[in-house]
Amino acid sequence: MSKIEIKKKSSDAADFNLYTLSECAITLAYDVEINTFTFYQISHLKEIIYKNPFAGFQCAVPAYASMTIFYDPIQVMQSKKLRGINCFEKISNYLSQIKEAFSANQAIKKPPIIIPVCYEDEYAPDIKELAKFLNLTIDNVVQIHVEAHYKVHMIGFVPGFPYLGGMSERLSVPRKNTPLKKVPAGSVGIAGKQTGIYPFDTPGGWCLIGRTPMTLFDTERIQPSLLQAGDEVIFDPISKQDFERIKSKENAIKDH
Amino acid sequence: MRLKIIKPGIMTSIQDLGRWEYRSEGVPSSGAMDTLAARIANIALGNAPHEAVIEFTYGNIAIQTQSDMLLAYSGEGGTFFIEKQLLTPGKPIFIPSGTVLNLVNNPSSVYTYLAVAGGWDIKDILGSKSTYITAGFGGVQGRALKIGDELSNNHNYTDTTKKILLKLQGKKINFPKWHLNKMSFIYHQTVVRVVPAHEFTWFEASSLLNFLSSSYELNVNSNRMGYQLDGPKLNRSVKKELLSTAVCPGTIQVTNDGSLMLLMADSQTIGGYPRIAQVAAVDLPTCAQLSPGNTISFAEISRTDAEKRYLERENQLRKLAIAVAMAVNK
Repeated sequence: MSKIEIKKKSSDAADFNLYTLSECAITLAYDVEINTFTFYQISHLKEIIYKNPFAGFQCAVPAYASMTIFYDPIQVMQSKKLRGINCFEKISNYLSQIKEAFSANQAIKKPPIIIPVCYEDEYAPDIKELAKFLNLTIDNVVQIHVEAHYKVHMIGFVPGFPYLGGMSERLSVPRKNTPLKKVPAGSVGIAGKQTGIYPFDTPGGWCLIGRTPMTLFDTERIQPSLLQAGDEVIFDPISKQDFERIKSKENAIKDH
Repeated sequence: MRLKIIKPGIMTSIQDLGRWEYRSEGVPSSGAMDTLAARIANIALGNAPHEAVIEFTYGNIAIQTQSDMLLAYSGEGGTFFIEKQLLTPGKPIFIPSGTVLNLVNNPSSVYTYLAVAGGWDIKDILGSKSTYITAGFGGVQGRALKIGDELSNNHNYTDTTKKILLKLQGKKINFPKWHLNKMSFIYHQTVVRVVPAHEFTWFEASSLLNFLSSSYELNVNSNRMGYQLDGPKLNRSVKKELLSTAVCPGTIQVTNDGSLMLLMADSQTIGGYPRIAQVAAVDLPTCAQLSPGNTISFAEISRTDAEKRYLERENQLRKLAIAVAMAVNK
């Protein structure tokens, strides 16, 4: 197992370790817990990589305190621009160069993405029980959930599923003991200190407190996943009528 | 060229070499479980490496040609027969319209791949034709193939494909003498090379010894997402939680009860279990073909060695395609 450390070049970019995930992937990992600083570091680094990709670059997958870069080893090895005798060296060198661009090239803070959510009974099968468990009213639960600004740390589980950090600890609940066989698409769930949205009808064990009419993942869009790691999100409470209206609009776009 | 599914078997789907550019949006790569077999079937026809193939799981499958066809298959999940005549894998075979092909199961293996001259005519979704059933996209309407489905080919043949077709077409089943032997690429049937993963040192020394010296048996509870491997349980010396991070096909995770889960083509993009090792990409096809009850053991290699083997394999496959082109030029 080899590891190299890229030395701190400027005051802006934090240190990360690099390790091999597979023949086609390298992970850069920050030696920290989840925090806002790392979140911005990863988002910014991802942006720079996508703007200046190396030959053979396929994608960069952010997670809580890491980002993994996938590539085609044949193209990486053929590239004369990347220095090194193997893919690990070549991509390490590329990342060192990228880090130099880091300080000069400040991340542009994007406005938050607003996700409409209906918290009414029909779409919130677990909200009553949750309120009882937390010793809150249903309105309190909604208010606390809506007040926070969320950060998309990563997309995973299924295509388009955002893991959102930033939820108030007052809403923290354990996962359900028996996962539901079919959670309806659009369901907004809570588990531990996280909240997330189910893009498809899938099994799931999170506590369901609302539903969005937005289509979270659509292969016909240029960017299939509505949310990307690095995005910031705000939930906007809507009525059942608004839900139906937005939903039919979304379906019309989908069928178009 | 067109064929019809008469008996679809338990899980038949369109796959190619996978969808690798959308992992950041949570999209698994999917693609053929045994990429080596998928590639050999395409090479035998002179197709480009990324052309779609039909992936069959086990046997009990029947298909019928609806026009004259040029097909090739590879993989050990089963053997194709036309009535009593066995078809050899790894060679282009001309088959007249109206012929029924039966895939007879091989109990010790799983996947078989069928390629067609020019590749199957399937729409690209996010840069790949692979079927991903969980989210319902790719392949034929994002689902497994069923009775009555018909599949056609692309007509943009390579020069090699054109020459093969010209040589073999006629009124009868026809094929050349040569065939491509997939087994010549296999390192070992029961030993799989692995590179220690990032959390390798999180496990007790005795567990690491067990991991590298014991046999592990494939649990029946295995599918395109992951293979559960039964054997000595692994104990952790470092008890901290792993912050979820990227994983990929070939990653061996250790679940909370100490058992091994080898991630396969449809696996999630992110995982939170510690990773003990990564199967060398060149040996992942061997794993894919394990049938429940089969056993494997692991042998450690370095990451540079794994990369070298990967580049070598790619070079060998490139040479194989050139050899086919030369064989049909004679």
